Amino acid sequence: MIMKGMTTRLLCSATLAAATLAGTGLATSAHAQDPYTVGVEASFPPWAYVESGEFKGIAIDAMTAIAEEMGVEIEFQDMPFPSLIPALAAEKIDILATGLTVTEERSQAIDFTIPWWETNDVVLVPEDSDANVFTAVCCGARIGVQGGSSQQAWMQENVVDNDIDVELARYDSYVTAVDDMAIGRISSVIVDDTSAQEYINAGKPVRMAGKIYIRAPLALAVSKGDPQEILGSLNQGIMAIHESGQWQQIVDQYIPGVVPPPIPGHMPDFVDTYDKPVAGIPTLGNE
Amino acid sequence: MCREPDLDIYDVLLRDFPFLLKGLGVAVVLLVALLLIGFVLGMAICLLQLYGPRTLLVQWPLKVYERVFRGVPIIIMLFIFYYGVSGIYDISAFAAAVLAMGLRSAAYQSQIFRSAFQSVPAGQMMAARAMGMSKIKAIRHIVFPQSARHAIGPWTNEFSSEIKETSLAYVIGVVELTRQAHYIITSTQGNVLMVFAVVALLYFVLNRAGNSLLYAFERKLAVPGFEK
Repeated sequence: MIMKGMTTRLLCSATLAAATLAGTGLATSAHAQDPYTVGVEASFPPWAYVESGEFKGIAIDAMTAIAEEMGVEIEFQDMPFPSLIPALAAEKIDILATGLTVTEERSQAIDFTIPWWETNDVVLVPEDSDANVFTAVCCGARIGVQGGSSQQAWMQENVVDNDIDVELARYDSYVTAVDDMAIGRISSVIVDDTSAQEYINAGKPVRMAGKIYIRAPLALAVSKGDPQEILGSLNQGIMAIHESGQWQQIVDQYIPGVVPPPIPGHMPDFVDTYDKPVAGIPTLGNE
Repeated sequence: MCREPDLDIYDVLLRDFPFLLKGLGVAVVLLVALLLIGFVLGMAICLLQLYGPRTLLVQWPLKVYERVFRGVPIIIMLFIFYYGVSGIYDISAFAAAVLAMGLRSAAYQSQIFRSAFQSVPAGQMMAARAMGMSKIKAIRHIVFPQSARHAIGPWTNEFSSEIKETSLAYVIGVVELTRQAHYIITSTQGNVLMVFAVVALLYFVLNRAGNSLLYAFERKLAVPGFEK
């Protein structure tokens, strides 16, 4: 009798479970035509981060301003950096807006807008270290980079593959890398100059041992072949917020005192979307 | 700087605690959904494996399913479901996480249930059949109630490990507890230890609460003096 009651109850809850499942809305789509989904890596200040549940950062504010300029709705979708480019390639997101460096390899998988920033890389070492840029990157040093980042690729190509005796430690995020350096697990971190300045401003016990001038352009990106046909208006939007002074204002708010590089920045000729005419701005482009 | 560098980490944690709780809420919804899928499907697999047709046509695919889902890391499954399925159907990150983790949990739960059913002496089934009960009736009224008691213990394991695995869903963009913690860490430029200690505590409390309920249920089903 007791057992019978129990069985019925258990079977009941199983049926209930099935009914609930049918109603969980497995069809919710992150890929509606409108608004456009903008993928960001929200642990990458000052470009994109979350504070008190709100997206903030240069890329966030600038993208919002550009969307206003374009007259479209957008929504932000946060993802870890290594997932962003695959998500854009698979059209799970429509636009990628973070401190995204333009590289030849990436340009084969996604389409870049005109560059809106230029960075150089910095060798960060602990405050009390006396290493310079040469001694920090040699002789068995363990060097921290973010996995999948342009810094990792650069270090691999120019340092590790040139038989310089260093080991790359890959991290999920630069903040963890910098903390790991404070503990002493790695001796230096290669990071872009904008982020490096952030860490120093935030009072981390680090200093810049030196700069690596790579003049890497940063840009927004859309899926390869621009299936949503938004590359042209994104390019126009970037130019528009630059010319109206909004861009300078946004940048100034996050990195006070910095002079933003000119827009459009240096456009490497390995990127096919930089061939003349550039979408939306036909007077621009590499011949 | 537009951020408030004067706030110390305790203030930030206090201010952002509601967002950690929101992340915990997402983790709980994900957990409940995946355990439900796992329960329904796992029970079906178990019943088919034990009492279903013995033809290879039925048994072989069940075996392959169970081996594959138990043998592939969950992080790989998350990527496969999120990126792979999107070719056929535009799946959201949350749905992909529920499916990948739910289907995997089904494989594990089917084996928990199978061992619980098999722990009931075969004589019970024979006796029930001899008394004229149909096979379905015998399973429902004789074998199932006894095996349910045996299943709860191992099932608390499954519950505990799935809570912790929900933290992996952030890799495809589900903003659950761990991801919310990342937000605090990156926007304050550090405090890894402090923030993750709070997050660990939240996971622990959830885990203890769930397990306490399951143990209470186990005590309730116990028959005094039986199987002791």
